[in-house]
Amino acid sequence: MNMAAAGEKGGSRPGWRSLGLCLVLLAALCRGSSVERKIYVKLNSTAPCVRLLNATHQIGCQSSRNGDTGVIHVVEKEDDLSWVLESGPDPPYMVLLEGHLFTRDTMLKFKESTRISGIAVMYAKPPPPEGFSPDLPCPNDGFGLYTDQRGAQYSHCNKTLWNPLGSGMSYEDFQFPVFLLQDENETEVIKQCYRDHNVPGNGSAPQYPLCAMQLVSAMHAVTSTVTCMRRNSIQMSFSINPEAVCDSLAGYNVWSTVRPVNSSGFLAPEEQVVVSAARLDGRSFFWNLAPAAESTVSSLVTQLAAAEAIHKAPDSQDLPRNIMFTFFQGEVFDYIGSSRMVYDMEKGRFPVRLQNIHTFVELSQVALREDSSLWIHTDPISRSNDSVNVEVEQLIDVLKNSSKDTNVTLQEVDQSQALPPASFQRFLRARNIPGIVLTDHNATYRNKYYNSMYDTSASINMNYPSGLSKEEALNYVTEAAQSLTDVATLLARTLYQQAGGKDPAQIKVDEKSVTRMLYGFLVMSNNSWFQSIIRSDWKGHLEDKPPQYYVTATSLGSKPTPNPPTSFLISVLANLTGQVVNYTKEECQSPDKATDPQRELYEYIWVQGPLDNNTTTRSPYCVRSTLRSHLAESPAFELNEWDSTEYSTWTESRWKEIRGRIFLVPSHQLEVITLVVGVIVLLLSFGATYFINSKAHILFTSGAQEDASGTY
Amino acid sequence: MNLERVPNEEKLQLCRKYYLGGFALLPFLWLVNVTWFFKEAFLKPAYTEQPQIQSYVKRSAFGLFVWLVVLTTWISIYQMNRASWGATGDYLSFTIPLGIP
Repeated sequence: MNMAAAGEKGGSRPGWRSLGLCLVLLAALCRGSSVERKIYVKLNSTAPCVRLLNATHQIGCQSSRNGDTGVIHVVEKEDDLSWVLESGPDPPYMVLLEGHLFTRDTMLKFKESTRISGIAVMYAKPPPPEGFSPDLPCPNDGFGLYTDQRGAQYSHCNKTLWNPLGSGMSYEDFQFPVFLLQDENETEVIKQCYRDHNVPGNGSAPQYPLCAMQLVSAMHAVTSTVTCMRRNSIQMSFSINPEAVCDSLAGYNVWSTVRPVNSSGFLAPEEQVVVSAARLDGRSFFWNLAPAAESTVSSLVTQLAAAEAIHKAPDSQDLPRNIMFTFFQGEVFDYIGSSRMVYDMEKGRFPVRLQNIHTFVELSQVALREDSSLWIHTDPISRSNDSVNVEVEQLIDVLKNSSKDTNVTLQEVDQSQALPPASFQRFLRARNIPGIVLTDHNATYRNKYYNSMYDTSASINMNYPSGLSKEEALNYVTEAAQSLTDVATLLARTLYQQAGGKDPAQIKVDEKSVTRMLYGFLVMSNNSWFQSIIRSDWKGHLEDKPPQYYVTATSLGSKPTPNPPTSFLISVLANLTGQVVNYTKEECQSPDKATDPQRELYEYIWVQGPLDNNTTTRSPYCVRSTLRSHLAESPAFELNEWDSTEYSTWTESRWKEIRGRIFLVPSHQLEVITLVVGVIVLLLSFGATYFINSKAHILFTSGAQEDASGTY
Repeated sequence: MNLERVPNEEKLQLCRKYYLGGFALLPFLWLVNVTWFFKEAFLKPAYTEQPQIQSYVKRSAFGLFVWLVVLTTWISIYQMNRASWGATGDYLSFTIPLGIP
């Protein structure tokens, strides 16, 4: 009997062991194990800096493969730097950096030091009053109109430095992770952990355990687009388990015309089109963080409002010339969208050709007008051609004429000054088109936060009184809305007259719609208006926070999907310029089935619709409009010219995971002691097992035999 | 297979097969040959087939050594220079490390 019991015991031992092993594995598999939760505090609202690559360089940040860990030290003033860079006894340090100290100088100091394992930047509230722009002082240099080959006297912002506040930090390469902490509460948790454990007392070293942070943002791509695209193609052709390392930045341009254009045909050569342009993207130092209020949304909303006003004019369909509104994607990254449109126009893959363009009006940053003045920029090189010059002069006259009863003071910049960075430059590169760029700045940008995380609604004077409900805020007319309404009126009347319209006074921009657009595009996309007009399959894009205008990368080989701001733009533009048609959902989503003879001229979207009275159900409907989306991927990727100097070559590295967490670390001494004790216990257990095993016949069998003999 | 129980002629046959097999770019066969037959070739009391086995083992060892030198040299050169070779380095690689040049 006892024999059997002993046998059972022996048999159950491996059973217990495997069960234990299973538990350990299970715990490792499910991240939510309570032990992990007791040790680590996950950081949830962070924005990482990731690696981007162009033809020659890599920029951005990366951690080592399993992340970088360091003892947290809060750097709130210049003096704190010496602790992390020189005197602190526990390197490497993870620096919790005050937003105001997040400058190029500080970052370069960190870059040179070996005592830094990473940076967590605190969002400065209020933003630095002196300005902050991590972009270049001369944005988009080399890809616009002025290069060393043509217009060399204007190249590299020779005469006018557009963004003097620009530190160029976004274009540096950092070999450590940099994260932005977006949530104040989370920042406070980290600071509290620092205060509890890491504050050096009277200059002496703090006692272990110390509060540490781990940041993981290991990047797959390296060196340049040439290298990463080559590796992509090797992977695709040879590897059993293909894994791309980088993806091109791409998205969609959006364009729409006042009179419908057959998208599969071409405009006749004598047909003329007045083009109005704005950009659709922005960026900052961090990934997918680009509020872009002044740099992008100001012109985007203005152009949308103008489009609405012109479409409402009774004679808009009968104008001698057509008007085309374009929104270019990826312009921040060396003019991805506009260069692709020009490329397609030249290749005959776009219904409108360059020859059809009568005049070009572009809106750049327009929300920060000083003394209500709006500046007209023109290109000195193309104006040296007399016929172009005459048309530009005429256009300026029309503009001035249109500004008469608006609140806008139009001013011309010095004719010898080059164009600011603008999509129009890519068109001028291909053809001498008469055109102008409208901005709120004469020379240097008035935007203090160009392409930074601080270019938010607050930076363009969109101030809401406290205590407004969502619905009230949506319709609350801010200073910015009034100012942009004026600019939109000016733009709409100008385009109308350029297209041959006779009665510009009837064109009126709706201030309410500017107000609502500003709210949706800058404060909260999840508002009642956007909800009722969004294409139903995009409703997941709506969020209770401002949309981010980063162009986003597209998985290699797949068609890009519109990013959230593009989907909002499409929905808003369709709502403002389209008509409701009584198609069923099926007809709307595949109009080929419809019997409408005009269906080829239009695009149809199935809209979620407004809430029915006091219920949660919506009444969806179909909207027909002339808007089209146009793939905005740099031609360099179609031509496989990954080292192109003509077209944008920006790619975004892939990564496996991006995360951050804080925890307490013991001293190295304690770690080593723990390890050594563990190893000793292991060895002892080996020895004991061996001993017991070798003496098993003495230790166990005899007793069993005795028992056995007793039983028998 | 336990060599102790194999007759000497078969040992020779085996050793010969492994030696010849190594020429098919299989240096591991030579490695096996050397380790497996080392005792038989050099430590056992003399028997008729021993000189032949000895010579096969020596030749296998030489071949193995050549392979070792060549491979070590190539791997060191490759590992040190892959990044600077750029495109060539990538085309020579079977797996490309992530995140490093």
